[in-house]
Amino acid sequence: MSSVAPAWSALSPALLLGLTGLALLLVDTIRPNERSNTSMAVVSALGALASLSVTVWFVIAGTGHADTGGAITLLEGAVKVDTMSLFFTAIFASVTALVVVAAHDYFHDHQRPAAFYSLTLFAATGMALLAVANSLAIVFVALEMVSLPSYALVAFLKKNRGSVEAGLKYFLIGALSSAVFLFGISLVYAATGSLIFGEVAGQIESLDTLSGVAGIGIVMIVGGVAFKTASVPFHFWAPEAYEGAPAPVSAFLSSASKAAGFVVAFRVFTEAFPLGASLAADINWVLAFGVLAAVTMTLGNFAAAVQEEVKRMLAYSSIGHAGYALIGLAALSAGSAGNEAVMGAAMAHLLVYGFMNTGAFLFVAMAERWGIGRTFEDYAGLARRAPVACTAMAVFMFSLAGLPPFAGFFSKYFLFMGAIENGFLWLAGLGAVNSVVSLYYYSRVVRAMFLDDPATPSALDAIDVRPTALYAAVVFAAVATVLLLPGFGPVIEAAEAAAAALF
Amino acid sequence: MVDAFAYVPAVVLLPFFSFLVALGAGKYLPKGGAFGGIAATAGSFLLSLWIATAVAGGRAYNETLYTWAAGDQFELTFGALIDPLSALMLVIVTLVALLVHVFSLGYMNDEGETGLPRYYAGLGLFTASMLGFVVADNLLMAFMFFELVGLCSYLLIGFHFREPGPPSAAKKAFLVTRFGDYFFLVGVVAVFATFGTAAFAGEGSFPALAEAALAGSGDVWTPGGLELQTWLTVVGLLVLGGVVGKSAQFPLHTWLPDAMEGPTPVSALIHAATMVAAGVYLVARMYGFYALTPTTLAVIAFIGGFTALFAATMGVVKDELKQVLAYSTISQYGYMMLALGAGGYVAAVFHLTTHAFFKALLFLGAGSVIIAMHHNEDMWDMGGLKSRMPVTYYTFLAGSLALAGIFPFAGFWSKDEILYEALVHGLNEPLLLGGYVMGLLAVPVTAFYTFRMVFLTFHGEPRTDLAADPEPVRWNVKGPLTVLGSLAVVTGFINMVPVQKVLGLEGIDYLHRWLDNEWGGIEGLSSHHYADLGPYSSGYIAGGEVPTVLVGAAVSLGLALAGLGLAWRLYNVTSPTEHTAKLGGIKDVLYNNYYLDELQVWIAYRTEDIAGGADTFDQGIIDGVVNGVSSVSLLGGSRVRRIQTGLVTQYAAMLTLGLIALLVLLGVNGGWFL
Repeated sequence: MSSVAPAWSALSPALLLGLTGLALLLVDTIRPNERSNTSMAVVSALGALASLSVTVWFVIAGTGHADTGGAITLLEGAVKVDTMSLFFTAIFASVTALVVVAAHDYFHDHQRPAAFYSLTLFAATGMALLAVANSLAIVFVALEMVSLPSYALVAFLKKNRGSVEAGLKYFLIGALSSAVFLFGISLVYAATGSLIFGEVAGQIESLDTLSGVAGIGIVMIVGGVAFKTASVPFHFWAPEAYEGAPAPVSAFLSSASKAAGFVVAFRVFTEAFPLGASLAADINWVLAFGVLAAVTMTLGNFAAAVQEEVKRMLAYSSIGHAGYALIGLAALSAGSAGNEAVMGAAMAHLLVYGFMNTGAFLFVAMAERWGIGRTFEDYAGLARRAPVACTAMAVFMFSLAGLPPFAGFFSKYFLFMGAIENGFLWLAGLGAVNSVVSLYYYSRVVRAMFLDDPATPSALDAIDVRPTALYAAVVFAAVATVLLLPGFGPVIEAAEAAAAALF
Repeated sequence: MVDAFAYVPAVVLLPFFSFLVALGAGKYLPKGGAFGGIAATAGSFLLSLWIATAVAGGRAYNETLYTWAAGDQFELTFGALIDPLSALMLVIVTLVALLVHVFSLGYMNDEGETGLPRYYAGLGLFTASMLGFVVADNLLMAFMFFELVGLCSYLLIGFHFREPGPPSAAKKAFLVTRFGDYFFLVGVVAVFATFGTAAFAGEGSFPALAEAALAGSGDVWTPGGLELQTWLTVVGLLVLGGVVGKSAQFPLHTWLPDAMEGPTPVSALIHAATMVAAGVYLVARMYGFYALTPTTLAVIAFIGGFTALFAATMGVVKDELKQVLAYSTISQYGYMMLALGAGGYVAAVFHLTTHAFFKALLFLGAGSVIIAMHHNEDMWDMGGLKSRMPVTYYTFLAGSLALAGIFPFAGFWSKDEILYEALVHGLNEPLLLGGYVMGLLAVPVTAFYTFRMVFLTFHGEPRTDLAADPEPVRWNVKGPLTVLGSLAVVTGFINMVPVQKVLGLEGIDYLHRWLDNEWGGIEGLSSHHYADLGPYSSGYIAGGEVPTVLVGAAVSLGLALAGLGLAWRLYNVTSPTEHTAKLGGIKDVLYNNYYLDELQVWIAYRTEDIAGGADTFDQGIIDGVVNGVSSVSLLGGSRVRRIQTGLVTQYAAMLTLGLIALLVLLGVNGGWFL
């Protein structure tokens, strides 16, 4: 970053997202009766893309990178822009852009779609803020800023019982989790006397008798993170919210919101509670993440294997992937040189996941738009009617399962290799077994689409619409999933550089 | 000036593009994409000529073009190596491929075959693979293109996949050569493990490293403290496995006669310039390595000599035109192996060159006859075609004279040089001498079956109505035949070593000088260097070099003429009859190819027990684990499903309990509650 730009401009990705949200509100206020679905979608997509461009430019220019003067801190150290924050902001902005584009077709007959776009943009702003948070207070505020629009988004189909019910459940679990998280923060504050990460870290080593208090606080913060990432046992909201919510919202929550949970976890647990100091204070949070990772990936994948509906299967698979990404925290060991590799691999996995999972949910959105059913059987023979979209879906499925030659293979491979080299063979082994299980249910989708015959010849006659924007979003996500394979080198390097700055 | 070597990748890529075009758009193109293939191979041919000119201008090329995997120990790369050997081979392959493409217009298009895009796509890929193999600068790249060649042969031999024979023959060719390639693959890995590189040429190439290590000035890895010489021999024999499979040497030759099920132009391509030539070319390519291990050389020579004789005897009794040619191919490649094993590097390349032309000629000639005979290949139904298809006859005759080794046709010079090399080097080496004797015995047999074929096909009276009124062939058949016919006559003159030695005319052994880097080449890849490395010393009979040359040539020519004469007496009559009955019991043995197919099948069945064990392991243990995981996961999944009750109060309770469990776990672990 050149020295002439003021420091606050480092926040421009988040600011752009927020301003776009405000602009949408403004337009909607001035002309509330206008059916403005298209212009809303275009404005929000442009806002998200502008934010993405600025972020990518920052990454290339090296903003917040150690080579250009290190991380940029603002607001008395409560906000910190570095490579990791930019990396995750790129994920949020990409997913947001895909989702708003897809939503244009999904909400084609909705009465008042305008609120959807502004809520999504505000949630994205909260995520971008989470990525730069360097104080527990900012973390909490930003987390709520993500959560509150999310509750509304899940319940966005007001006349749909499933949507409303899911929104309410999500809200209740979310309120409980927020309380736990906030209680954890207060306990940590009680023990260390600070909310700024760096200062908390300085106190952790000299806790003495207060280590139990801080420990309970930290476990509660783990709980808050687990809620946002949909990890066991805070995952209960996820299958129902993902299933009940409009599919673009499911895509948004399961990709971007999950990544937001991880960015907090990565930063808090490396900068506020550094591993060496925590272990010295008898707070073995790596163990907690190890247990969470193992249980989460196993439960997610096993439950996904027995689902009948594609969307619910994807919901559980999303829980399983949270388990994989948790390896990035669970396979750390104090002072090991391999920490950067494993956490960097987890970040790269989240980026790849952002595209393939969003794409998969958007395909489901397309199926809902077509009005075919929700089960695997309803997808039978779909490839004959919609070959391009089904090919894209097959790419997502195989990439999610981690098969070469798709990007999901590499990110998972680096993740498991990093875990093995850091001495966590059991986690990698469990991850591999879970991947085998996941191949079963992912390939069920592909088999249904390409190999099975439709139940009745007229079953697929409903497909008479060509939702252009949805198609574009799905195809773009598929292309990104494929292109991330040759482009994986820069991605993993950026991710490892981001992780290296944390340790 | 534009550098010719910059176009080396284009030589390979042009036929590859014709493959893509024929595959993707063949059905929209006239002639099923044939013109694209012709244009591409013609372009490759011209580029190859240009490259050969550049080599003749004193230059060579050895570059890594693409590194596709890099590790700490070694790198895996694609590259191009252009030296006199590969430049010569490029010209041969592209020329034969071009002529085969043109001939296919007559053999496939004019005959109204279907599936032509598939055919021309196969030809394009086949040519591209072989060219990639020829320019390969390292063993791994060579192996990959070697496998591609194998795949293409499978696709083309099985071209008529709706008939019962071709798919089965294609499978056989694929499996038998694959059997040899397993050894080759292990050999490639062994080369990497031993030397850390698989490059053919240059300072750090594996032949150079092996040479240095044997001289005691280098250090290479050997497994279990095995003696270096022994280990190098093992590696050499492993790679030889692939060669024996592809070049159809005993005992892996059985696929080749069956491969005649493929369209005849494909047979020409396989036998003259691509697949079968690949094996011999590989040995020549890494000759600097083989020359270091006398045991391997002796094995090569003996296999070669034995195959030459063995295959020739089977050719004697065949009734079908292409079958005779098939066995002659096996036999002729045996000669090349004999030459390589006998230290006759140049002789082998020489024979590879002449054979490429006259065998392509014979196959295309046979194709012409087959067109004329409406795809009846039985020679007993022919006869008297001489006057009805003169172009085919005279070119076929030139090819036959070359194959039989009659002076002054191409085959005479190259075969004579092989036998000469084997003789002078073999006087002190019993194994080599054995190879020589077998090679010499094969000469009259070759001449006999060749002219039996010529007389039965073209001479005498027509024995069927079909032969009396054959279908005429067009320019696209006659053109390639004429080109190859001329080459079969004159190619021998590029290397008239006997003439040079007897008459003392210096400098007419052009091929020797070419391969000895006289014009240009790469250090360490010259025939001179190979001769220095090789274990052989020369001995002479009849008191000196010149008499040895004369005696050797006279003996082989005499034997060839004897074979020809016998065929003349038995078959050059108005209505020839079968004489096989006179062979007695041997006849059945020969008809059944020494029962080797049966032997291989028997061996295959015996391996069923081992395969059965592996199958049990696979079914029971591997699949058992997989099935176990899946049933456990489905069972576990349905349990998990039940947790998700839909009641948010229960969720809150379980969430809280989970958090408390985590708190207790970490608290006890960290001693917070004490």
